[in-house]
Amino acid sequence: MLELRELVKHFPAASGAPIRAVDGVTLAVPDGEFVALYGPSGSGKTTLLMLIAALMRPDSGSIVLNECDISKLSDADSARYRLNELGFVRQTLNLITGASALDNAALKLMGTDMGAREARRRIVPLLDRLGLGERVSHRAEQLSMGERQRVMIARALSTEPKLLLADEPTGSLDSMRGREVLELLAETCRERKVAVLLVTHDPQAASFADRVFALRDGRLAEHEPDHLSAALKAG
Amino acid sequence: MRFSSIVRLYRVRLRARLTQELFAVLGIAIGVALLFASQVANTSLDSSVQRLSTGIVGDMRFQISARDSHGFDESLLREVARVPGVQVVAPVFEQNANVVGPTGERSVDVVGTDPRLARLGGSIARHLNDLRLGGARVFTMPAAIAQDIGVASIRSVLVQIGSRQTRVLLVPQLLVGSTASLGQSPIALAPLRTVQGLAGTPGRLTSIYVRSPPRLDRSVLAALRRIAAGRLNVGHADMTTTLFRRAAGPVDQSTGLFSALSALVGFLFAFNALMLTVPQRRSLIEDLRLDGYTRRMIVQVLSLDAIVLGVIASALGLLLGEVLSVALFNSSPGYLSFAFPIGAERVVTWRSVAFAVLGGMIAATAGVLLPLQAAIAERPVRSTPLRVSARRRARLLLPAAGAFFAGTTVILLAAPQAAIVGVVSLTAALLLCLPTLLDFAVRVGGRLQRRLAGAASYLALIELRSRTHRARSLAIAATGAIAVFGSVSIQGARGNLQRGLEASTRGTDSRAGLWVLPRGKANALVTTPFSDVDRARLGRLPGVRTVQLYRGSFLDWGTRRIWVLAQPQADLHPISSIQLVKGDLRVTNARLHAGGWLVLSQAVAAEHHLHIGESFTLPTTVPTRFRLAALSTNLGWPTGALIMNASDYARAWGDQDPSAYQLELSPGASLVAVKREAEGVVGGLGMRVETAAQRERLHYAQAAQGLSRLTQIRTLVVIAAVLAMAAAMGAMIWQRRVRLADMKVDGFSRAVLWRALLWESTILLGTGCALGAIFGLYGQLLLTRALSVVTGFPVIESTPLLAAVGSFALITAVAVLIVAAPGYVAARVRPTVGMPE
Repeated sequence: MLELRELVKHFPAASGAPIRAVDGVTLAVPDGEFVALYGPSGSGKTTLLMLIAALMRPDSGSIVLNECDISKLSDADSARYRLNELGFVRQTLNLITGASALDNAALKLMGTDMGAREARRRIVPLLDRLGLGERVSHRAEQLSMGERQRVMIARALSTEPKLLLADEPTGSLDSMRGREVLELLAETCRERKVAVLLVTHDPQAASFADRVFALRDGRLAEHEPDHLSAALKAG
Repeated sequence: MRFSSIVRLYRVRLRARLTQELFAVLGIAIGVALLFASQVANTSLDSSVQRLSTGIVGDMRFQISARDSHGFDESLLREVARVPGVQVVAPVFEQNANVVGPTGERSVDVVGTDPRLARLGGSIARHLNDLRLGGARVFTMPAAIAQDIGVASIRSVLVQIGSRQTRVLLVPQLLVGSTASLGQSPIALAPLRTVQGLAGTPGRLTSIYVRSPPRLDRSVLAALRRIAAGRLNVGHADMTTTLFRRAAGPVDQSTGLFSALSALVGFLFAFNALMLTVPQRRSLIEDLRLDGYTRRMIVQVLSLDAIVLGVIASALGLLLGEVLSVALFNSSPGYLSFAFPIGAERVVTWRSVAFAVLGGMIAATAGVLLPLQAAIAERPVRSTPLRVSARRRARLLLPAAGAFFAGTTVILLAAPQAAIVGVVSLTAALLLCLPTLLDFAVRVGGRLQRRLAGAASYLALIELRSRTHRARSLAIAATGAIAVFGSVSIQGARGNLQRGLEASTRGTDSRAGLWVLPRGKANALVTTPFSDVDRARLGRLPGVRTVQLYRGSFLDWGTRRIWVLAQPQADLHPISSIQLVKGDLRVTNARLHAGGWLVLSQAVAAEHHLHIGESFTLPTTVPTRFRLAALSTNLGWPTGALIMNASDYARAWGDQDPSAYQLELSPGASLVAVKREAEGVVGGLGMRVETAAQRERLHYAQAAQGLSRLTQIRTLVVIAAVLAMAAAMGAMIWQRRVRLADMKVDGFSRAVLWRALLWESTILLGTGCALGAIFGLYGQLLLTRALSVVTGFPVIESTPLLAAVGSFALITAVAVLIVAAPGYVAARVRPTVGMPE
């Protein structure tokens, strides 16, 4: 269970008044639930993910994952947390060119105490589950964008995290491939009881979530379903 | 993190950057090769002399040695043997000789000793025990040297010492001892009586070697000094090695300095190649850190990169260095062989290997880790890099560059002995100036572009203004700058030194129309005495106005082996202005002519705290008081020189023998005819006759040979730099193909794109090389001053503007020409390359 309590993060601004990127966010995400944070650019979505990923510290409030306060972790413990407890799917697809899908997906596992051979063995079923069974030995540049994103999801889920953060994961995909990727992401996480926090400005992506929250000027509000429908229609 | 994972990660990433990795390997290998080759060259010289010395004297502790080749009476041996604590004494008589065989002649150092040294001395001296051929005059020398003069097995050869010639049986041997080999050393071993007989000085010795327990060192040394009574030198048994190290110091230092410069270029080569992969590696690091890799894990991953790169590059560098040291750096500075028995064998010590490998590993580690320092150290949050304006950058960098430049100037003016620090400081100033100059060049280019209004120059300037490739562009420009800087500095200093040496040589050689002196290459500095028996006959030759006696030798004073030149007393101008450092030329010449005065090299005088006008005792065979008339350069002899008149020499050495006859010709006499006549008189006596012009040519060739290593290093620096710049520019252009394809979609033609790439290369390389040329002019001044002040070499300072412009133009043009090929291919890219399938 992920709990955000009165989370605040401000940034200084040249004009004088600080930018309130995250402004008193409180949220609970139980294991296995898929939650989407929906909002326009500059609404504080990515900052919120950074805080949860322990990549920056909040000015106040706390982030608790399974009774452990993430906001108080040291740099080394933060790294351990990201390695073992967290999965992070990014918008940019930074795969190593020349390396196979298998090696790219096993990259995170190699950082654990597991040996390289074991890491490669362990990642194969996950790639299979994500529909990449036939493509494991293909090099990164031989994969389609959708396949690349699935490799990134496999990497994020490889260490069996309790929480998966997804930052605009379909941003570089067309709508059909985006939907495919999100379906897979949602199914896989449900099967594994992984809590998912997706941030997006795409209403279609948000529609895959169990719950959708709107983020505006750093403040969180439960999203009205009809607003999302309207946005979907408009899109 | 498990090692297997680190290795897997390395292998996974290698495929994407194999080409760049190979460039980096090559760059570091070039640096390692230059370091290794110069190390081997230097240690070979040192080790050759040291091994020879050890191979002969073994574990003897001290020696008493004569201050001239006539030596001292061997009755001193008994006196030394009686010193309490002395266990063994061994007599040695050593002479420079010219050995004439069926196909050639060689100058060798003939060491005569008796069974005591053969039994108890070094492993090589023991070969003397093999020379028992029923009392015949016999000697042995390394088979390789004997082969040079056409002797493959025992046979009779002619040995010349001074003007004496004797036929002796030569026994070629391998002369290999337990710790040393005389394979290529110009040395001969013979029984003591044989060498005394060859020199015509029976009962004389040049040294006595002493073995005593180390705990009695102090008392034995004191007793030996008492016996020497200030007329002989007393020192450790391996004194020759110490004297040699001092003499070879300038060669070692200059080679070391210039090798370091070339290693720096090699490192920049590698750095350029590594810079090509920085964006990918930085992005990977950021990704891994987001995935939970700690700093330590990232460093572990990168360390393997550095170790593999360093090990492969070092191994390749050692191989290249081996080839270099055999093919290019094998020649020893010939002039040192006039005073020391230097062998030609290459000695590779573990230190040379370790030093070169260490350099390679440091370069690899720095090259891999430094550009990624920020990515490793910062928190793993993608942030926009801090943009610094060109003006602000200039405000930060230029004062620092000014401070380094001022530091160099202080060194130049006040402490030229710290030239190495000066060169490092000047290099730092250069590198700090480069970003500002590049910004300036881009700004000027922008103004010109507005007038020219060409699309190619416009595109080039856009690329140069881009922050994305800033570090890489600077690295490429820095390589050019360092290369031209090194090239101009080395070439300028070399030119100044060569001009100085030639002028100094002219000052000595032109004192007589003809010189008559003992044969042998080792006598190029006229230091071998001979019996004065032919002066009258030479004086009676038609066309000869006068025959003057010139005397010369080497004098061991402290840790220096000093070249002594004693001009005939009748010479009214025994010293020339180029040779003088301090003192009035007219007064000095008058004082030398009058006698009782001498001129010392500045470094020697400084070492003994002597000032002009001061009186002191010169440690000669007959210690004599002289006054210091003036200070001179070292006349091209690294450890210094001493100029006096020949009569004073005879008095101080107690020796009337000349080293050369100087023949002054009558007006209108034919030089060729008189030379032929003189050869008729002395040719059969182991003497040769040379004109002043012949001697000058010989000395010019020797000076050029002594400086040849600098030219070789300079050439290698230039080649390495051109390759480095061309490779880095080529790779950078190649990586830009997708963007070039985009531009083609936008309607830019192939010709415009190619011209844009050439513009960009020219501005980038031209800026770096121009700055290098400007700093190179200052660098050559620093190096010239160091050579002049520290080592005392005669130099003629000049500003090699033409050479600087030439180096700048050559390196820029060659690099741009090389870049033109990949630029042309890249400009032909299909417009669809960047489009998704």
